[in-house]
Amino acid sequence: MKNLMHKTLITLAGVAVMAFSAFAIADEDKKASFAPDVPHPTNGSTECVEPEDEMKKNHMKYILHQRDETMYEGIRTRTYSLKECINCHVPENSEVRYGDDKHFCSSCHNYAGVSIDCFQCHMDRPMGKNPHKSNAQVHPPVEAEVADASVAGASNE
Amino acid sequence: MNKKAITNNETINISRRSFVEKSATAAAALTIAPGVLLNQVHAKPAGQPITDAKRWGILIDTAKCGNGCNDCVTACNEENGIVSHGRPLTDQQWIRKVKLKDKMTNHVVSLPMMCQHCESPPCVDVCPTGASFKRVDGIVLVDRHICIGCRYCMMACPYKARSFAHEEVEATVDYQPRGKGTVESCTMCVHRVDNDGTPACVEACSSNEHGAMVFGDLKNPQSEISRQLEKHGGKQIRADLGLNTGVRYRGI
Repeated sequence: MKNLMHKTLITLAGVAVMAFSAFAIADEDKKASFAPDVPHPTNGSTECVEPEDEMKKNHMKYILHQRDETMYEGIRTRTYSLKECINCHVPENSEVRYGDDKHFCSSCHNYAGVSIDCFQCHMDRPMGKNPHKSNAQVHPPVEAEVADASVAGASNE
Repeated sequence: MNKKAITNNETINISRRSFVEKSATAAAALTIAPGVLLNQVHAKPAGQPITDAKRWGILIDTAKCGNGCNDCVTACNEENGIVSHGRPLTDQQWIRKVKLKDKMTNHVVSLPMMCQHCESPPCVDVCPTGASFKRVDGIVLVDRHICIGCRYCMMACPYKARSFAHEEVEATVDYQPRGKGTVESCTMCVHRVDNDGTPACVEACSSNEHGAMVFGDLKNPQSEISRQLEKHGGKQIRADLGLNTGVRYRGI
């Protein structure tokens, strides 16, 4: 009788421990997700231009396609443009720059070990309404004495 | 079987009828308001590719261009986010003022000089990667995605129109990405032109008292630039090279 009680108690305790650890593991899973935390659009929209799974896999193809259409054919629609990714996913006046884990593009690229050079030229944040654009000095005019302006016009000597 | 065939026929007839009706409406619209539609020909729908039906050009009247005025240069710098590093020989210049003095008469002309948007551009001929190219509407550009910065085009250009980005560029405008290690030049403000706009230099020039620059479609005989060219003519600089430039000058 005593033996049986012992066995029952041990079994119950074992079950309790197992159940608890199972919950603990489930809880752990939720916290330490493998996917990085990607910032959502700042304009309140909940849907991207294509379903999320498609964008995760193929966003680079859409952007590349749009790039060439814009460059060579002058098609300046916004839907698939890199500019619109930035306008939608990076808050205006954001201090966060590409390379920072909190930047929309970097959040995933850093995790996946992807290196891109888009932002060596393109803006990594929205332009805003009144950008400070230029500090360029105006150089003094190129001066030349010529016999015929239309022939020697481009001379810089 | 028969019944099905008849149904199909009806479907075809219905769609044909509606097609005829629609065509008639369109024809009526054309007949009623030809003027209205003609005025809108300039506009290109955003999703449509450019065509060779247009060729963009600029006509510059050197008699009106102010000696000492730099409004076009400032406007270009501001529009395209061009930054100086205090090195005049290598700083980017998409447009510069040139002052020419005739040796015999001492007559001085002042004019802005930038990419002349040639029909046969030497910069495109020499580019080893195909980065330097001409759009079908005549605007000559550098595709900086594939430019390797060899600068052959800079040597080939008879107008010294191109610059090399020697320094890292802090992007300040999102429509004109520029970066270190590539060649760049006047784009005729292509981002504006594609949205039915006018280049920044032309806009600046016409908003001051000079109004020396006219931008427009060289292929459209009704455009302001074509009419002025027809009336007064317009010279190419270095016409002897036979490049057929899109930028023309009066008074030189």
